[in-house]
Amino acid sequence: MRRIYESDALYRDDDEAHAPKERKRQTTLQSFRHVPSAALSDAFLPQRLRRRCISVDVRSPNSTYRVGEPIPFRVTLRNRAPIAVTIPTASPVLWEWSVDGNVEASAVPLRDPPDEPGRFHFGRGERKEFQKRWDQRFRVERHEWEPAEPGTYTIAAGINVAGGAQTRLRAETTVEIVR
Amino acid sequence: MPPLLEVKDLTVRFYTQEGVVTAVDNLSYRIERGEKFGVVGESGAGKSVTALSVLRLIESPGQIESGEILFKGQNLLELSESEIRSIRGNEIAMVFQDAQTALNPVYTVGEQIAEAIEHHMGYSEAEARDRTIQLLDRVGIPEAETRFSDYPHEFSGGMQQRAIIAMALSCDPDLIIADEPTTALDVTIETQILDELRELAESFDTAIQLITHDLGVIAEVCDRVMVMYAGKPVEVAPVEELYYNPKHPYTVGLMSSIPRVGSESDRLQTIPGTMPDLIELPSGCSFHPRCPFAEESCTRSEPPLTDVDSGRQATLDTPHAAACIEYTEGLAEGLTYAVEIDDSGGDIGAIDAADGTAAATSERDGDD
Ligand SMILES: Nc1ncnc2c1ncn2[C@@H]1O[C@H](COP(=O)(O)OP(=O)(O)O)[C@@H](O)[C@H]1O
Ligand SMILES: [Mg+2]
Repeated sequence: MRRIYESDALYRDDDEAHAPKERKRQTTLQSFRHVPSAALSDAFLPQRLRRRCISVDVRSPNSTYRVGEPIPFRVTLRNRAPIAVTIPTASPVLWEWSVDGNVEASAVPLRDPPDEPGRFHFGRGERKEFQKRWDQRFRVERHEWEPAEPGTYTIAAGINVAGGAQTRLRAETTVEIVR
Repeated sequence: MPPLLEVKDLTVRFYTQEGVVTAVDNLSYRIERGEKFGVVGESGAGKSVTALSVLRLIESPGQIESGEILFKGQNLLELSESEIRSIRGNEIAMVFQDAQTALNPVYTVGEQIAEAIEHHMGYSEAEARDRTIQLLDRVGIPEAETRFSDYPHEFSGGMQQRAIIAMALSCDPDLIIADEPTTALDVTIETQILDELRELAESFDTAIQLITHDLGVIAEVCDRVMVMYAGKPVEVAPVEELYYNPKHPYTVGLMSSIPRVGSESDRLQTIPGTMPDLIELPSGCSFHPRCPFAEESCTRSEPPLTDVDSGRQATLDTPHAAACIEYTEGLAEGLTYAVEIDDSGGDIGAIDAADGTAAATSERDGDD
């Protein structure tokens, strides 16, 4: 769990008496880590080639699950290039998963991300892995859920690439729910 | 006259590469002038993010996505940077949990407080110095005049916390938001500081929003409480009501984890499991996987905050509200727990024995 007081998401100002104060050490480390690598990729790689460096994979340990059994799956994003790569995204939502096209298994929109682009940064050769779980329920309204019937479902994951449909940075797998 | 603070439908999210964290989810609450309002819940419930959002201290990747923060009727989310800066300290001050966040290590404690007073209240240097010394004295710092020139690191933990309270009071705010102000301190000092905080708030006529993970701390100071779980309120009630007549299973669980005398660290762990990751909440009621009373319906719908007496959707005027299906459709098996009132005193350390103490045990009758 991230802690707000230890994070960069807190406004700090040493000169404002009633505002949180700067954390001395971390700030310098941060600037070392981010700036040069991001600059490198932006300087040398055109958009289209940047996207080619990244692979997306989604898989679940089994192909069939009993009704009601939570379905774990793993999303792996990998930068195959020997240099850092930054992918511009359509919003601050960097990537998404879905079941049969329903983002996070919800038939209703869950949020309204700020209308601004995001940046998904990968270090050279970096592999990012996210463990997720679908509890076999679809959100049918803001506050209502329904269990999925037995049948075949497609779990997909993809980077929220700026400019829309981008099949390369997306992957899917199918699972079957049985009684 | 509009209420002091009204937070309406506040939603705060963090956009991280692991996913979107909904730290505060459509949250509403109200604090009246002079009121002592408690916010309680386990670590990760969204208490700090709520408080920091009121003062507009959340930055990217955090986003206040929707809602209103009405302070004396004015929406703080619509103010300019410089307007909000003058609200901070002058009208709403924050007591942070630790000195690293609250104090600048390179200035003396006295200088910092005096500087704030000079800047916000237009005092001369000498007047600001006098008022600072008075304040340091008021919050219980001995030899305030000499300690004025000490650096923060020269203070003990308890003294630092007192200095932070002095800083918060320095510009005579109408609301103090104290975020776990005594969590880092040992129990005896904690009790002293809470007593002082309450007294000071009363004599300065300041409202308090006191944030803590410890219900015992709430009992010491507050009039009214909001219990938070997974970014949402699950129960709101006057403090006695919450103790003697808790309505949400999570509140009952928190009560059973009040520490006993002489065993600070040995909290009774009666709520199994932990707060969910706020990236991916369970379906239905967010608390259902940990709730001893959960039924199938709890996995399918998320109960709204409901007036426990009328069963109608709660508003900011509802005295006692809880978010559990029991108060809308009803649970097939109901909620069955007993609240034991222990008047002998001393059994539960964190609560003032004179008020009587309540311990809750949840027991499920019937089958399973
Ligand atoms: N900088 C951050 N980035 C991502 N998530 C964060 C950040 N800061 C806090 N959070 C998340 O917001 C949620 C609420 O945190 P917080 O308000 O600090 O809880 P509390 O004060 O009740 O312990 C938690 O899930 C926490 O992990
Ligand atoms: Mg906190």
